Amino acid sequence: MTAPHGERPAISRRDFVRWGSLGGAALVLGVSPSGEIIAPRRKGRAADLAPNQWITIDAAGAVTIVAARSEMGQGVRTALPMIAAEELGADWHRVVVRQARPGVDFPDTNTSGSSSIPDMWHELRRAAAAAREMLISAAAAEWRVDRATCVVDGHAVIHPPTQRHLGFGSLAAAAAALPVPGDPPLKPSSAYRLLGTRVPRVDAPAIVTGRAIYGLDAKPPGTAVGVVARPPQHGAKVARWNAEAARRVPGVIDVMQISTGVAVLADRTWAAIRGRDALQMEWTEQANVLPSEKDYREALEAALGRGRTARREGGDVDAALASADRRMEGTYSMPFQAHAAIEPLNCYADVREDRCEIRVGTQSPSAALERVAEVLGIPRERITIDVALLGGGFGRRIERDYIVEAVEVSRAARRPVQVVWTREDDMRHDRYNPAQANRIIAGLDASGMPVAWRHQTADYHLTMFGDYDPSFDPASSGDPWGGFDTPYAFPALDVTLALLESPVPTGAWRAVSYPAAVFARECFLDEVAHATGRDPAALRLALIPSPGMFRGSSGQRPNGDRLRRVLTLAAERAGWGAPLPATRDGRRLGRGIACNEYHRGAMVAQVADVSVGAAGDLRVERIVCAVDCGRVINLAGVEGQVESGIAWALSALDTEIGFDRGRTRQSNFSDYPVLRHTEMPAVEVHVVSNDFGPFGVGEPPVPPVIPAVMNAVFAATGRRIRHLPLRPRDLAL
Amino acid sequence: MSTRFVVNGTPREIDAPPNTPVLWVLRDELHLTGTKFGCGIGSCGACTIHLDGQAIRSCSVPLSAVAGKRVTTIEGLSPGGEHPLQRAWVDEDVAQCGYCQPGQIMSAAALLAEHPRPTDAQIDAAMQGNLCRCGTYQRIHRAIHRAAGSSAPATPSGGARRP
Repeated sequence: MTAPHGERPAISRRDFVRWGSLGGAALVLGVSPSGEIIAPRRKGRAADLAPNQWITIDAAGAVTIVAARSEMGQGVRTALPMIAAEELGADWHRVVVRQARPGVDFPDTNTSGSSSIPDMWHELRRAAAAAREMLISAAAAEWRVDRATCVVDGHAVIHPPTQRHLGFGSLAAAAAALPVPGDPPLKPSSAYRLLGTRVPRVDAPAIVTGRAIYGLDAKPPGTAVGVVARPPQHGAKVARWNAEAARRVPGVIDVMQISTGVAVLADRTWAAIRGRDALQMEWTEQANVLPSEKDYREALEAALGRGRTARREGGDVDAALASADRRMEGTYSMPFQAHAAIEPLNCYADVREDRCEIRVGTQSPSAALERVAEVLGIPRERITIDVALLGGGFGRRIERDYIVEAVEVSRAARRPVQVVWTREDDMRHDRYNPAQANRIIAGLDASGMPVAWRHQTADYHLTMFGDYDPSFDPASSGDPWGGFDTPYAFPALDVTLALLESPVPTGAWRAVSYPAAVFARECFLDEVAHATGRDPAALRLALIPSPGMFRGSSGQRPNGDRLRRVLTLAAERAGWGAPLPATRDGRRLGRGIACNEYHRGAMVAQVADVSVGAAGDLRVERIVCAVDCGRVINLAGVEGQVESGIAWALSALDTEIGFDRGRTRQSNFSDYPVLRHTEMPAVEVHVVSNDFGPFGVGEPPVPPVIPAVMNAVFAATGRRIRHLPLRPRDLAL
Repeated sequence: MSTRFVVNGTPREIDAPPNTPVLWVLRDELHLTGTKFGCGIGSCGACTIHLDGQAIRSCSVPLSAVAGKRVTTIEGLSPGGEHPLQRAWVDEDVAQCGYCQPGQIMSAAALLAEHPRPTDAQIDAAMQGNLCRCGTYQRIHRAIHRAAGSSAPATPSGGARRP
C-alpha cells in the first residue's frame, strides 16, 4: 500500500504561522561554541563577507551563522549552524551562533512540529554555498588561477597544484566585493565531514556555569515584575476585586485589570507574588462545564461512533467485518496532560508610545511579532523581539498568550515589566494536551490475519490554533495522526475522527495527537498477535508493505522498508525472541514492542523491558530504540532527542490533569509528579542514517513509548491496560 | 532590615524582608540568575544552592535563615567553569534545554563533597529531588561518575515507578 496523500498535508497545527513580517536583523544573547556570550552586532562592516542574512565572515576569519529557530533543548542552535558550516567548509571551532530576531530578514522563525531541520536544510546550504563560491572566486583572482582548480578545506581556500592557501578571514574583504551567486553548486554528501558526527551543543559551557540567559533571566536589573490573578475556572471572568491588602504589601507599585485577570506590579518578584496572593478576587463563573475528568472520557467514548471519515481504503469494512472469521475490538484512552516545562512562563515587555521591546523564550517569535503589532496597533518594524533560551517548550511556548499579557501590563503601567508566572499559574493555565479516546475494530481471517481495520478516534480540538470548526474535514489535515497514516496495509481500512469542542484550553504537546492514537493502535495490534498466537514483531512485519514506496513533493522513499528496518534492528538489539525469565527477585518480567512512522518522515521502533512488583509498582528497566530520521545532522542531538522523548512519554504513564467543574485540580510537581532520576530506564539508541530527509527528531521518539511499555506490561502480568493514567492497583497481585 | 551573609566568597548586606526566599534575593537583588525558579515549593531542585556546603532549595529558605552563613551559587562553584562536574557535564553532553542543570550540578557538587566516589545508590538519593523535563537523567548519572573518576554504568540503577 502506498500513501495516497501528500507527505506534508497542509496542517494548520504544524505550520499555522508562515506570515511574512518586517523588522531588523540583529540579536542578543548569542553564545559561541567556546561558551562566550556575544554582544549584539549588526552585519555590514565593509570588510565582512555577508552575502546574505545567514552568514557573516569577518577579517579575523570568525564565521557568524544565524539560527532562526528557537532553542528549547532540541539542539537547533547547534544543528542548524552545522548545516551551514559543513557547506561552507568552515572550522566548527571558529563558528559563532547568533539568534535571529524576527523581522524582514527572518520572516519565519517559528519553531514547532519537528520541522526546523527539514525547513532550513536547503536554505542554509544555499546561503553557505554562496559564501563559499565567493571565497573561491576571490582566491582564484588573487592567485590568477582557474577557480575550478581551487578547493575549500579547513576554513581556507586551497590551490592544490601550487599548494597555496588563503584563510577565510584574509579573503573576506575581496570576496565581499564580488557578485553573490544565485544558484551555487552544493557539496555532495559524500564529502561531508561534520554532518553525522557527534557535536556537543554550543550552549553547554554557558549552561553549566549559570551564564546562559533564559527568558526569566533577560530582564534588565530593576525592572518591575507583574504577577497576574487569573480565573481558577477556565473561561470565567473577573467580577469584582479588592486590592487594599495587595497594595499594603511592601514593594507593590500598582494593581490593574487586564484582559486575562488582575495584575499586581511590584519592584521585586517576591513582592509581586505576595501582592497577587493578597488580592481578593470574585469571578463570574460558567455553569455549563463538564464536572470532572471522568466526564471528559465518557464524552469522548460516546462520540467514537459519530466520527467523520478521514480515510477509506480497499474494500467495504462493514462487509469485511461481517464476513470475518473473528472480530476483535478494543477501546483505549489517555487523559489531559500538562507541559510543565521547568521554566515557568514569563515575558519582559517595554511598551512605549510608538515602539515596543520584548525579551522572551518563545517558539513563535514571528507569530508573536505579528500579534503584538496587532494588539498595539504599531508597525512591526517598531517592535523588537529578542529570543532568549527556552527552559523547555514542548509546544506550550507556541502560544502567545503570555507575551500579549506582558504587553498589556507594560502598556497599562507605562513602564517596562516582566510578567512572571508561578508554577501554579503555569500548571493551572496551561494549554493542555487533550484527552483522547480510540477504538479499533478488526476482522481476522481464519489464519488470524487482519482483513478489516476500523480505527475511530475522538479528540478535543486544540484551542491554541483557533476556534472550533464543526465542519472540520480530518482528511484535509491527515487527521487523526497515527490512524490516518497507519503504516500497516489492510485489505479494508476505515479511519474516522470525531472532533469535539474543547471546554478547556488545549494546545500542541510534544508529538501532539500521535501518542494516544499510537498507544491504541500498537497495543491493539499486540492484542491481535496474542489472541492469534502470532509474534507481535512478526505480525507487524507481515502488515508493513515492502518497499511501501511513498511519493511526496520532496521525492519518493521506501517508507515500508525503512520502518521494517528499524523494527528489525530494535528487535535484534533488544534480544527479541530470546525468552525472558518469568520473574526475577520476585518481580514479574516482560518485553514489548511498538513502532510508528511520524508524518511519513522519521521511523521509530522501540522495545521495552519492564518488571512489575507484587504491589503493582512498574519499573521500566530498559528501552532499546532504533530510529531512521534520514540524513543525520548531529548524531549527539538525535541520541539526546530519543532519550528525551522517552522520558517525556514515560512521565505521562501516570500523570493526569483533571478538572473540578472547569478548574484544574493539579497545581505543582507535588500533584503532577513527572519522571524523576531513578525512574529513567536505560535507553539504547541505534540510528539508521541514509540520504532521505533530513527529518526532525524532537517528537518522533515519543509515540511508541507508551505502547511498547504497556505491551511489556501485558507480557509480564497478563493485564491489558487500555486506559491511562496507570495506577499500581491495575497491576497489583 | 538588613541581613549579612557571604555569597560566593563576597560579604553581602541585603535590605529585604527577612521572609524573602533566598532564591529571589539572589536573582532580584544580586542578579545572580544562574539559580533558577521552577516550582517555589522545593519540589523540582532548579533553585539548588549550597548553604555552608549543604545543598538546599533556595526557593524554600528565607533570607533570615542564611544570616551570617556562606552561600555558594552555580556562579561561584568554580572560577572558570572548571569544576570536574562542569567539565563532565560538557563532556557527556548532558544539557538539553539546560534550565535545570545549574541545580542538578549544585546537588551533585554537594554529593561529591561528601562522597568523592559515590555509589549508584548515593547518586540516586542525592539527585532524586532534581527534575529534568528533557529527561537527561541517564547522562547526569554518567557525568557524576565521570567527575568522580568512578566507574560509570550505562544508566541509572533505578527505573522504579512510584509505588
